Amino acid sequence: MLLTYATASTPDTVIGWQASLNLSFAASEGKTLLVNRQHIGPLTVQRPFYPEGGICHVYILHPPGGIVGGDHLSIHVNAAPSCHALVTTPAAGKFYRSGGAQARQVVSINVAADAALEWLPQETIIYEGAQLTSLVKVNLEAGSRFIGREILSLGRPASAEGFDYGQADLNWQIYNGQQPLLLERLRLDAKAFAARWGMQGFSACGTLFATPISATSLTAVQALIGEAEGRGVTQIDNLLVCRALDSRSDRLRGFFEQVWAIVRPDTMQRQVCTPRIWAT
Amino acid sequence: MSQSKEPITDMGTDLALLRLLQLVSPGLPIGMYSYSQGLERAVDDGWISNASDAAEWISGLMACCQTYIDLPILARLYDAWAGNNVEQIEHWSQILMAYRETAELRAEERQTGQALARLLGALDIVEMQPWIRKREATLAGVFSFSAVYWDIPKRETLIGYLWSWLENQVLCAVKLVPLGQVAGQRLLKDLAANIPNFVDEALRLTDDDLGGSAFGLALASSRHEMQYSRLFRS
Repeated sequence: MLLTYATASTPDTVIGWQASLNLSFAASEGKTLLVNRQHIGPLTVQRPFYPEGGICHVYILHPPGGIVGGDHLSIHVNAAPSCHALVTTPAAGKFYRSGGAQARQVVSINVAADAALEWLPQETIIYEGAQLTSLVKVNLEAGSRFIGREILSLGRPASAEGFDYGQADLNWQIYNGQQPLLLERLRLDAKAFAARWGMQGFSACGTLFATPISATSLTAVQALIGEAEGRGVTQIDNLLVCRALDSRSDRLRGFFEQVWAIVRPDTMQRQVCTPRIWAT
Repeated sequence: MSQSKEPITDMGTDLALLRLLQLVSPGLPIGMYSYSQGLERAVDDGWISNASDAAEWISGLMACCQTYIDLPILARLYDAWAGNNVEQIEHWSQILMAYRETAELRAEERQTGQALARLLGALDIVEMQPWIRKREATLAGVFSFSAVYWDIPKRETLIGYLWSWLENQVLCAVKLVPLGQVAGQRLLKDLAANIPNFVDEALRLTDDDLGGSAFGLALASSRHEMQYSRLFRS
């Protein structure tokens, strides 16, 4: 149903890197361990570390530094009952201009009952002319907790590059058990980049999801936004969705760090502990 | 659902057309007129300030969202009602709701769907009784039921549904931008001309093709929820 990608192929082009990474977290005596990691191709993790007690922080590394047409990356993250892990990346991800082949990235995240997972990669830069499909599929079991964030930066505004050609098919699918809670599919191309209903020519957009969430956090994020333009927040059942548009991705990064600081104590019962790598 | 009570004669098709006209009339008391779907905030934020901005906004949403979400799901719901497939009806109602990006867009979908179910009940169409209070009630779900019930063909059902969405959006633009009555009618006439193409495209889509979100709409609708003073419901 919906997106499976199982049959997609790019017969007329060279297939690039095929890389996959499987991570499993489990709780053990008050500490979350990375109990299983398997990788194929250039996709790996650094040794986990513990800057805030038992919560396991992990950095995903992609040594090629960017994704080109024909590359297929898949990442699976499994959070077993009662564990708490935070996954991020040490640098921005990049989708380069393509000669025609499609790049593909699939992230599937399973959060078991009473488990907590934070998926907070740094921003993704999509170069003008890139051709890609990306899917983040999150399965939430009863009582699980999840915060996810995605920041996209289109073209390279520093070199006056917009997004006059290229295509990005960007999907988020969040499921509560078998039930779809939120489905999003942004088909970004030159038209959607420029349009008022799309990105209005802004080079950066971002979304943060947090569940479960209380009405107090919604009010606090609304107060944070105040009269600021290009920022919005809503609450769907017990999922908070905060969206923002800006001409600069660094401002979005700052904004979403503030939103994270509001929602994390509510969703995760923890104050923020900013991964040190974000500051570098 | 039980199939039609009378053979399809000219009288039958005439009646189907008349039922469709009733269903898509802005006079249908289901509260559509009280929702602007982000348009009010888009105007308030200065994104839309004239007829051509409004045309870009509305036609973009028709091409991006209606064609890839509402219409193909409406078609699937229509088939599910025609085949009396309860599981598929619930499945596609859930998928449609999951594509609604904000609380207010979901509330609108649910409230107008429940209101149409209630109206049908008042018109002695008892099948929709359980949907009056169902959380998964959607406008598309109850609309497609009505279409099957009244023997309105599928393609016409999609055309009517999109027309009614378009007319509501244009009426919002007339009120909010604001536009003159003639400018509004021009917008309606121009944008309606694309409806058959969108419907054709929607009918061709496979399940994997579904989905079209508009970041600007999601943002405007979220911002509408916290707009201090507004004409339209949130």
